[in-house]
Amino acid sequence: MTMTGRRLGTVALLVPATLIALLAFVVPLARLVGISVSAKAGPFDAYLHVLGDAVYRHVFANTLVIAFAVTLIALLIAFPVAFALTRLSGAARTLVFACVLLPLWISVLVRTFSWMLVLERNGPVNRLLVGSGLVDQPLSLLFNHTGVLIGMVHVLLPYSVLPIYASLVRVDPSLLRASEGLGASAATTFLRVLLPLAARGVATAATFTFLLSLGFFITPALLGGASSITLSMLIDSFVSDRLDWPLASAASVVLLAAALVIVAVASRFIRVSALARVHR
Amino acid sequence: MSGRIALYGFVALVVAFIVLPIIAIVPAAFSAQSFIRLPPEAWSLRWWDAFFRDASWRVTLVTSLEVAAMTTLVSVVFGTAAAMGIARLSARGQALLTGLFLGPVVTPAIVLAVALYSMARATGLVSTLTALVIAHTMLALPFVVLNVGVSLASLDRRLPMAAEGLGAGDFHVFRTVTLPLILPGVVGGAVFAFVTSFDEVVLSIFLAGPTVKTLPVRIWEEIRVEYTPVVAVGATVMLALALVAAATSRLVGRRGRA
Repeated sequence: MTMTGRRLGTVALLVPATLIALLAFVVPLARLVGISVSAKAGPFDAYLHVLGDAVYRHVFANTLVIAFAVTLIALLIAFPVAFALTRLSGAARTLVFACVLLPLWISVLVRTFSWMLVLERNGPVNRLLVGSGLVDQPLSLLFNHTGVLIGMVHVLLPYSVLPIYASLVRVDPSLLRASEGLGASAATTFLRVLLPLAARGVATAATFTFLLSLGFFITPALLGGASSITLSMLIDSFVSDRLDWPLASAASVVLLAAALVIVAVASRFIRVSALARVHR
Repeated sequence: MSGRIALYGFVALVVAFIVLPIIAIVPAAFSAQSFIRLPPEAWSLRWWDAFFRDASWRVTLVTSLEVAAMTTLVSVVFGTAAAMGIARLSARGQALLTGLFLGPVVTPAIVLAVALYSMARATGLVSTLTALVIAHTMLALPFVVLNVGVSLASLDRRLPMAAEGLGAGDFHVFRTVTLPLILPGVVGGAVFAFVTSFDEVVLSIFLAGPTVKTLPVRIWEEIRVEYTPVVAVGATVMLALALVAAATSRLVGRRGRA
């Protein structure tokens, strides 16, 4: 085949998918930026409003606090699980792996709805707590930060476990034995040997979990209360309740910019494209 | 030794934390009562009967299946072609296009939803199958491109070249040599595309409307107001389909990907 023929063939292969990406991704986002500077009072009016208003600033702070808390909790749970996965073998390993991966297949909506049933005032968790005498009164586990944190950690845990596992599995076990053999305590071995060797995996896990937390919508909207409004919920209310497109667009651009900054900074240290591989 | 027991005990707790809340939805769907209490005090199939008798629920399930089927078809054809095209590009071209296709993965769903909703309003596409299929295809494409890309990377280039050398035309080479060899990646990508569309809720909430509504959107609307166990039936249907998809992917994966 001739060179030009091959070039044309390559272009023909790429055109349909590129058109979808342009029509449904690039153009809508570009329009959004355009709308965000279209407020009647001036091009930066919507941004000044979103970033200047104390109520909205509280929502930004809230979103960051939740994202940090979710990331920290998820990492603390994920590290031991990832480490155990490197030690397990056979059926136990297959089972734990399946359980870690399983949630990725199941709709966030279904999982969040499930938590609503489990955490409600008369739900199984509260009945267990009251029945066992651990608490006198049922706890408020829904429509506050607690519910949001539980639900989001549940959804995002696989994104923390898999990158940490990927780095731990490459650690040579003889290094840990050597550290122990030289008299280091378990804590020293963990801090001075295991953790530094797994640093990239932990950084990747933190990036993925934080990035996804920042834009979470379904889980905080269903499990959170008036005090746990996140940026995504604010954007939704700008569009659905207030029909204020410049404001909704400006808030969206701020969220998008935050996500892009994280991706840009993180991509100097880790492979962000691996996020698309952390699935099922 | 005690450290080891503590570790595995912790892992068992985490596994319970992951799995139990997911399956909690199932008993709720078999309740005989008109409200959800876990576990139900009496069991029945009345809410399953209600779900499949009520046209407004049935229609959302059919719409979801239609949108997912169309999304799968479009994203598999476009995504496989794109993966083959990318493989022929220079390193810079590959990075550029992979970045373009992966964009939606790192973009918060609410941002995509608002951007697409605004676009759909401008073009009169709100509450249409077209808008849902285009939006879901945009979300599903990266998974197909990546999956097929992995299969292509492990493909022995000499095989299609040999077929070409023997005089086979482009499409003939693709159909008889390349496609069978990358089939695990294509099927894997198809399963991801289907589930991505079937589970999608944030974009669909904005793009759906009274005339075209998917199952997750209906569930979302019900949960936000007052719900009966019929919502748990809808959620259980979604759960069952997800498990079938996971099992399919595992079977394909065992034969194909590492």
